[in-house]
Amino acid sequence: MRQRTSRRLTHQRQGPELCFRAGGFKTMNWVDYSRHTPPRFQHRSNDAKLAAIRYDLLATTSFKLEAFVVRTGFCWGISAILIVVTGSLRADSTSKQTLSQRTTEDLIAIYDFASPTGTIVKDRSGTGVPLDLRITNPQGVRRHEGYLELYGDAYLVSNHPPIRLQRAIQRSGEITVEAWIRSTDKRQRGPARIVTLSRDGSHRNFTLGQKGDTFDFRLRTPSTSSNGLPSLSTPKGSVHTNLTHVVYTRSRDGAATIYLNGIEKAANQIGGSFINWDHAMRLGLGNEHGGGRQWHGEYHLVAIYASSLSPAHVKQNFNAGHKVQGASLSATLQNIDTRAIHFREKIAPLLSDRCLECHDTATHEGGLDLSRKETAFAGGDNGQVLTPGLPSESRLWELVKNDDMPADREPLTDIEKKLIRNWISEGSVWSVDPIDPAVYVHGAHDDQNWVRRLTVSEYVETVRAAVGVDIRKEATELLPPDLRADGFRNTAYNLNVDLKHVETYARLAELIVKRMDINTFAAQFIKQARFTDKAMGELIANMGMWLLRGPIEEHEIIAYRGISTSVASTGGTYELAVGLIIEAMLQSPRFMYRVENQRGDGQVWPVTEYELASRLSYMLWGGPPDQELLRSAEQGHLYDRDDIAAQIDRMLDDSRTIDHSLRFISEWLNLDRLSKLQPNGERFPAWSDNLAADMREETLKFFKEIVWRQRRPMSDLVNAQVTFATPRLAAHYGLAKEHATETADDFWKYELADIPTRGGLLTQGSVLTIGGDEASMVTRGLFVMHELLRGVVKDPPPCVDTTPIPTKVGLSQRGIAMERIANATCGGCHAKFEPLAFGLEKYDGIGGFHLLDEHSNTLREDGEILIPGQASASPFQTAAEMMNLLANSQRVKHSMTWKLTQFCLGRPLTAADAEAVKKIHNASQANDGTYTSLIKAIALSDLVQLTPTETDPLE
Amino acid sequence: MNAPRISRRTVLRGLGGTVVGLPLFEEMILSTTKGAHLSAPPTRAFNVFFGLGVPAPLQEEGFKGVLEPLKPLADKLLIMRNIDQVRCDESGINAHFDGATGAFTAEPPDGEAKAGGPSIDQVVRKTYHPDGLPPGMVPTLVAGTFFRRSRVGRYVHSYNDDGTVAASMQERPRDVFERVFGTLTTPTGIADSNRERLKRSVLDSVVEQYRFFSGSRSPLGAASRARLVDHLDRVREFEQRVYEMKERLPGAPNMPPSSTLAHGGQADPGGQGIDMQLDDLTNEWRLMADLYALAIELDRVRFGSITFLAAGERLRVQGDYRFDGRLVYHFDDAKDLNATGDKGCSHEWWHKFRPEKENVQLRAHAHMKMREVAYFLSRLNEVQDANGKSILENSMITVSTESGDGRHDDPKRELTGVFHAITAANGRFHTGQIMEIGREGLDVYNTMLAAMGASDRLGPKDRQFTSVDKIRA
Repeated sequence: MRQRTSRRLTHQRQGPELCFRAGGFKTMNWVDYSRHTPPRFQHRSNDAKLAAIRYDLLATTSFKLEAFVVRTGFCWGISAILIVVTGSLRADSTSKQTLSQRTTEDLIAIYDFASPTGTIVKDRSGTGVPLDLRITNPQGVRRHEGYLELYGDAYLVSNHPPIRLQRAIQRSGEITVEAWIRSTDKRQRGPARIVTLSRDGSHRNFTLGQKGDTFDFRLRTPSTSSNGLPSLSTPKGSVHTNLTHVVYTRSRDGAATIYLNGIEKAANQIGGSFINWDHAMRLGLGNEHGGGRQWHGEYHLVAIYASSLSPAHVKQNFNAGHKVQGASLSATLQNIDTRAIHFREKIAPLLSDRCLECHDTATHEGGLDLSRKETAFAGGDNGQVLTPGLPSESRLWELVKNDDMPADREPLTDIEKKLIRNWISEGSVWSVDPIDPAVYVHGAHDDQNWVRRLTVSEYVETVRAAVGVDIRKEATELLPPDLRADGFRNTAYNLNVDLKHVETYARLAELIVKRMDINTFAAQFIKQARFTDKAMGELIANMGMWLLRGPIEEHEIIAYRGISTSVASTGGTYELAVGLIIEAMLQSPRFMYRVENQRGDGQVWPVTEYELASRLSYMLWGGPPDQELLRSAEQGHLYDRDDIAAQIDRMLDDSRTIDHSLRFISEWLNLDRLSKLQPNGERFPAWSDNLAADMREETLKFFKEIVWRQRRPMSDLVNAQVTFATPRLAAHYGLAKEHATETADDFWKYELADIPTRGGLLTQGSVLTIGGDEASMVTRGLFVMHELLRGVVKDPPPCVDTTPIPTKVGLSQRGIAMERIANATCGGCHAKFEPLAFGLEKYDGIGGFHLLDEHSNTLREDGEILIPGQASASPFQTAAEMMNLLANSQRVKHSMTWKLTQFCLGRPLTAADAEAVKKIHNASQANDGTYTSLIKAIALSDLVQLTPTETDPLE
Repeated sequence: MNAPRISRRTVLRGLGGTVVGLPLFEEMILSTTKGAHLSAPPTRAFNVFFGLGVPAPLQEEGFKGVLEPLKPLADKLLIMRNIDQVRCDESGINAHFDGATGAFTAEPPDGEAKAGGPSIDQVVRKTYHPDGLPPGMVPTLVAGTFFRRSRVGRYVHSYNDDGTVAASMQERPRDVFERVFGTLTTPTGIADSNRERLKRSVLDSVVEQYRFFSGSRSPLGAASRARLVDHLDRVREFEQRVYEMKERLPGAPNMPPSSTLAHGGQADPGGQGIDMQLDDLTNEWRLMADLYALAIELDRVRFGSITFLAAGERLRVQGDYRFDGRLVYHFDDAKDLNATGDKGCSHEWWHKFRPEKENVQLRAHAHMKMREVAYFLSRLNEVQDANGKSILENSMITVSTESGDGRHDDPKRELTGVFHAITAANGRFHTGQIMEIGREGLDVYNTMLAAMGASDRLGPKDRQFTSVDKIRA
């Protein structure tokens, strides 16, 4: 049983940050943003949801804070909750006698039967969409204020299966069912259903029932039957006709206990997880679905938790009684300051999009930097621009209202203006600091939850891992290539399909099956090769579980069974039938896509264990879960964070992780581009396809060396003093043999400590060729800005001539760049990114190093780098110094975190991800910022462990 | 040939508003040119199977009971009672499967997908066409309206010598249409036809999966479902391109509408049965029967089998069953049985059969099956061959089923008294009688084969064949 901790939180002041600790409970940091009244505290942990909070400010330097925190295992993901103390510092003293006495952690549903009328019994847990119950036959029910009496043929039932509830319990591996009831008949049998999550008389996930004068609880696990037997029963004579507090609780380790009126009455061990729960079952009170197990009595309170309750908490709830006062347990959530969310979701993107082009830290025109709270409130050269609560006294408002700002840009729309005005009126709450425009590049429309089709490489690897057939050659030739979107080929929204895909998948499936030893393959899943319903159904279920990466449902078995019966009816063989079923599976959406549940109540849910297994395997390996990972999911181990971490460690040691990391670097740097490059032959006679291939391989070997052999921080990729080159590439770079160490292949290893012109990704041909023949500073600068610094710059206006300006005598690339930067129209943006390429001017369009260009202009490598978000630039004298500056930049490190996280998730990151990515980054940096630490941090993050759901009318 | 060569029908009468136009006159001429001799009717042999059977005690009632729908055809049929198929019993398996496999073969099944020997239609086919049928004809047409799919013997009723199925099952009217009027009818096309049918079943399951994951029950969100809808559209486009009938014979009737009933795996969800409106069932069956009859009429088919409901069929039938202007029964199996799933299927009435009871529901169901069998036979009776007799009279058509009793407690009783009816086969057999046989089905079948001029016999080689001469005219 998981130890529950006191939820009484104490604090210690740590400068502006208050750190409240709950003994043994997760530490939560609360940031005091309150330098002005009212004081505000932002909960910076992303893994808690505040259900209720009560605090007393005893003194300005000493708080006593008592918070009730629902660590709802199924809805982590609330971020940045602000609790605002308004008016009286005694915010909620009335609830002390009610809410404070009941434990609410992991509460999923609670019914207090408060209403004396109506045919609906409300769930007042305040978690997600309420799981209300409908009275099936009101004539069999009498409602009273505070309780409901069942006396006739009636029961209460949820309209739909409570999927979220079931998932939460499955996820935690724990359950508590609590009821304040009064039985009207001690002879009721069946057992008569008091609370049931079941389908019919013989299929259930759990049922609390009355069996004569005992209470009986049936729970479905792999060690009990589908009817939840054997059950746990209280001793004879346990049931009385007075009001009774009944609690059944079962911990993850299988310890099950029934308490009556706070006292333990029965206990046993029920092993196994809830992996085999049936999600189609509905919640019912008073009878079995389908009837026949009527219970008669009074319901005063029923609560369901996704955790086990300790004896102390059972006692606590017993002492709290059955009365739940107040409108809703969720009422105190009203204390959440929606203004913080509003700023994060509306105002910050608006400022980023419409103001920061000129008023960020780097540009701060008029002395005004609107990217930071402190500088924004400090104002600019003309004084303060923001007066919280008073738009009319806020210069910022006056300027946008009159369309004076943004200068030389489209004025704000009326809606945007209204947002600004209201924001100021409501106190100018500033909850994101600093505002990073890169976070807002992808807006809410990019936040759609797209199902991910397998990329070509994932398809190849999935086929190989699933059936042992190498289909790389054919798949690569026949399937349309996946196009890059937002920097990667695995971006879900861009992975669409056309007829060619469908044709090819069908053709490849046929080809794959032809190459398989079908009988041997099928024998892994069933012993008897038979056409019967049972045998074929079992084969399909087992084989489908493997090929489709998780249990398959009855409708799928039925569909595949149709194939085998068709084969049988044509006189075909078992082998033919199995082969065709595999063909169908290889074309099914479950194989071609990463199908996950995306429907629910609009909240964030944990992914299922099988979904998590696939997420882990595809992000680490670019392929499907192996048997061990699937077995771990099947056994419910992927609900346990330690077990997940152990699986990740195991997977990191697999060579597939290395292979997949090479896909990451290849896509990030767009190395496939090299095979298509056609530089001007006269100008670059040394160029050849082989040289291009060498450059690509150099970068991959370099990556493997730094990331996997030396296990260095990712940021060392920027300045590591080593590379690998063929004689051809070494000659191109001018690398002398004495710096080389022979290797097993043509790519000798070169130590570059004494070679100042090379060292790090930006000095490799694979990256330097990005600038094209002219070694464009625009393109190179943008590359550094986008890929390493996550800087944001807008596209040039449509009227601008972007034809490259040729160099000439007296005018080098740097000179051209300087002219653009000096140009009043262009400079605002170009000043942000072209200097980022100054250190690379000595490298020509194909990566050769020169001191003079073709017009004998002297080339330079000095300059300065302005890191986005920083006020001042950092100077450097050489390219090597520039690489060191970049490698040591927190921005670069953070950018690498973003890039790898995006690659792992298969979607661009949005503002909603920023907090989670920040945590990933911090966790990784705490472990040296290596690739493996980063992957592990991503895998364990909310971005992988959780999934947003869309409101589902069925829930 | 003086007799009219064209059917009196001008349309195929599929119910439910389905009308399939007849082929053009030229096609009729073409069909006869393929049909060899102009005056003698071709030798034909077809097996007609209906599921679940007629308990022997009910057969005793003759046309006053469940056999009433066959009465208009009484003079064209020899109804045989008390035929023993006990040798078909497969130990440990109830008679639905082994009894059904034994229908027309008189042998127990050989595994799950093979019969124990050839079916009588195929023996006749081999006798008359040892080198195959004329080019362009469908060698054997196996079709049916059925849902229970576990084990082939439940619904396929034409078998080769080695017990393998004689042709691919065509389970939708369109399948029959394409098989008969499509271009895949040459002998060399048979293998491809099978392959295409199987490939299509693969694609059917793929379509089904995409339909599910893009539909309302999908676990996916809106954007993802839209993506799968796109994918599904592409799959359908692919299906259309690959499997659309490229050509059809000149003058072939219009393509029948797509089936609206469950087929493939959806038709038999784990043996749990499916809901079925009576009108939906009979509409599809009758369209199937029309097409099959038309194929015979146009001499594109001479051998094969047609199935109306599989052995042990599991349907929860609903709807008014009317016959001859009267309401026979209002079907609502699940409600009558007060059960869901397989326990709510009409199949249960056979398990509940007790001779001493009324067996109201069983009678209604069996009556309905006879009505539908009669529908098919009537179609064949409407068309005259060159000899002035109807196709029904000229053909060897054998009607049978799986068992004579629905109780599974006694295989001997279950496989005794299995209903049989045959047609005259151009004067070879008596008709217009209900005859007590009291012999094994094997002897009856072999007698029929002998009458048809076949030298091959069914059953063990060392078994003494005893002719049932009284059925021969």
